[in-house]
Amino acid sequence: MAKMGMVFDLKACIGCNACVVACKQENSLPDGVFFTRTLSYEHGTYPNTRRTYIPTICNQCEDAPCEKVCPSGATFTREDGIVMVDRDKCIGCSSCAVACPYDMRTMLDKDMFEKGLFGTGELTPFEKQGYERFTPGTSVKCDFCSQRVDAGLDPACVSTCPTNARIFGDLDDPNSAPSKLIRDRDGRQPLPEKGTKPKVYYVD
Amino acid sequence: MLAKSLDVVGSEFRVGYRMQKSWGMSMATAFFFGEAGAGLYFVSQFYDLAAGMLLGLLMVIFGKGGGHLLHLGKPSRGWRAFTRVGSSWISRGLWAITLFAAFGALHLLDLQTGLLPRPLSALAAGVAVAGCLVIMVYQGFAMSHSSSITLWSSGLMPLASLTYALLNGVMLTLVIGHDALATSHPEALPMLRMAAVGLVLYGFVMVLSLVHSAKYGSGGGRKSVELLLRGAFSGYFLPVVLVLGFVVSGTMLAFAAKDLATMILVAGCELTGYYAFRVLMFKAGTYDPVLSFAPKFKP
Repeated sequence: MAKMGMVFDLKACIGCNACVVACKQENSLPDGVFFTRTLSYEHGTYPNTRRTYIPTICNQCEDAPCEKVCPSGATFTREDGIVMVDRDKCIGCSSCAVACPYDMRTMLDKDMFEKGLFGTGELTPFEKQGYERFTPGTSVKCDFCSQRVDAGLDPACVSTCPTNARIFGDLDDPNSAPSKLIRDRDGRQPLPEKGTKPKVYYVD
Repeated sequence: MLAKSLDVVGSEFRVGYRMQKSWGMSMATAFFFGEAGAGLYFVSQFYDLAAGMLLGLLMVIFGKGGGHLLHLGKPSRGWRAFTRVGSSWISRGLWAITLFAAFGALHLLDLQTGLLPRPLSALAAGVAVAGCLVIMVYQGFAMSHSSSITLWSSGLMPLASLTYALLNGVMLTLVIGHDALATSHPEALPMLRMAAVGLVLYGFVMVLSLVHSAKYGSGGGRKSVELLLRGAFSGYFLPVVLVLGFVVSGTMLAFAAKDLATMILVAGCELTGYYAFRVLMFKAGTYDPVLSFAPKFKP
């Protein structure tokens, strides 16, 4: 059984945010909704300071707290390990949002779909067709672009990354690119102490 | 432990502490009515105090139910929350509310009319109390169930729910049943006042313990405590939750006159403190930054 996961190479990430834009475009995300964010972190003491970019995304946890707390069964895990949300079952209780230690859930508000990308109140044809996939009042999150994965493609953020800072693949396959990176460069999971077993790793 | 120097960040693309914003006033109000109403029903049923039981039932059905419905993004699909009792405390709570509402109403009707034969009457009363007990604690389990927000993830949270529910129940019974109990159960009033003093003391220590465990739990917990004790919410947490909710109400319970007006004042202070506690637990909920995976970033 495949276990799809992702590795972020912190040495390679330059903070260009191309992944963020590609994600918004691929998923037609409305104003204020991000499935991935590239966070910046300044550390060190002057004059020896550095800025590191830390991409974040839904970690598709093996022991997903969002799935456990969901009272309607809207959140579920596919056979390949991708955690999905069934928008027709979601009741909008936000319990998944408060249960996610990574703050990677977003509740869709009706207002998000009314302003439009240009703030004029008129939706472009791109927005009109893209917004059909969303239901206001429900919860959304990254699903590794499951529609692309099903078609044998990488998620949009991975395909777009100009520095190969995002590596996607099957973590159950010891010869896959992410598995090798995790093994060779001591990959670490975000907030392992939360016990969620993320399928996203960081190497630096 | 995480970097102490990190700030609270909003929607900026920076590493820092993020505040939870998904559960707010409508959930706090629902939690308030749930624990106050269930507590009132629980205490009142020991004395067959129909007015208290009825008010408790109405608080749960309309106050708690209404708060939750207002919160839901898709209220028309709310029935789906019945389906995941195996893993979700929200599902378990919904079942408890439903059973409590149905059997509590039946029990009240039976008390007034003698409608049910004795075994069925006892069954209705028993199921209603069981549902009531679950409502008194499940909110704490729902909050402490996941580890995402350290302020909430303490095992003390269900105990805090139970303590507040009992305290609210005793205080409201002292007000609603003040005259009726003086006639029917004259020994009950001093006993309830003594129980209230004990629960105020216990609740005070419970809230301090919650804060203490959050402070040493994680960076996010420490940030939450900082916000409650020295930051944006200290103007409410210290004077309202601790002083008004426990110190003032406890002192008045122990030393002031025992008439109805005083009891109304004490209950008002205690419930105000409790509502503030519920709101502030949500407002001060903080997520840890994702930095702990990288030891080299530690200060």
